[in-house]
Amino acid sequence: MSGKGTLAAALAACLLLAASAWAAPSEDRILALDQYTTDKGRRLATAHGRALRALNAEIYHCMPWVEVQKSSIGFFRPKHIASDSRYLSVRIYVEQDPSPAFAALRVEERASAMFSRYVGALLRRMNEDAALAGDPALDGYTVILEWLKQMPRAQGERPVHETIAVFVDKALALEYLGRRRSITDVAAHAKVRGFDGEAGLGDLRLAAWDDNFVSTYKVANYQVEAGVTCR
Amino acid sequence: MEAAANLRREGVPAMRIDRIGLLLIGAALVATTGCATGEEWATWRGHSSHFASGSHMGFSVRNREGTQARVTRQDIQVARDQNWWGKPITVSQEQILER
Repeated sequence: MSGKGTLAAALAACLLLAASAWAAPSEDRILALDQYTTDKGRRLATAHGRALRALNAEIYHCMPWVEVQKSSIGFFRPKHIASDSRYLSVRIYVEQDPSPAFAALRVEERASAMFSRYVGALLRRMNEDAALAGDPALDGYTVILEWLKQMPRAQGERPVHETIAVFVDKALALEYLGRRRSITDVAAHAKVRGFDGEAGLGDLRLAAWDDNFVSTYKVANYQVEAGVTCR
Repeated sequence: MEAAANLRREGVPAMRIDRIGLLLIGAALVATTGCATGEEWATWRGHSSHFASGSHMGFSVRNREGTQARVTRQDIQVARDQNWWGKPITVSQEQILER
């Protein structure tokens, strides 16, 4: 092949590489193995790495209006639990325009709306791999949701996020996924901690309801990458 | 004259290769912009997020006339990056979870 032919081939290869990179979510959303502080967490992450990558990819492609936080997918220990209980966890930022109607709600009402919209949908996606759900080392699930509470109102100000951390033990999650519990039951029995910016709000009592937003909402004109199927 | 003719003859394949290179570079540019014009991107950037109510996210990239409108995952990421409001005040992961 001539030098110029090689150049053309190299450019074509670059295009293909760029296209494949754009089609894949960044793996930095998944906690790296060397970041686990116990063998139990590391073992789970090693055994179920494919499930973690599948979860990352499904959220990336099929819920494009949310953003998974870096190093937030993995088997973490909830801080309020003393033993080394390992919960499959994910933290997402829900992107939405500031809405006066939404802002006027009480914090519990905003949290309930977000819980209803996302917790059930994410629990289902976190349980697509039967081997993961069946692993006795897995103790539960953590879903962390955050959204914009307040935009910067002056130069130099920073936006403020509101956050809920939802902890669902494995038995409760599996009963919900097996349709023996409603999402209202899950909200009633799960531990939910609220945060306003960096400040803790303590445990929140939420009233959740079925919300099929995630399965029905479509971003206008959005086309998933070839080979990706969203349910 | 013969030397000049040889130069022209030699220049023909070189120009073809240059055109191939230009086509590839052009394709790369088209791919990176998602086939949208500047005006279309302005429309896109103006509607890059959504309301909690559900009437939201008018991701309305209008591609060139006669082509099917198309928003890719990469388009969304680009718009999100451009609309970044700065580092938010939010709870750290370490306040909630242990690694």
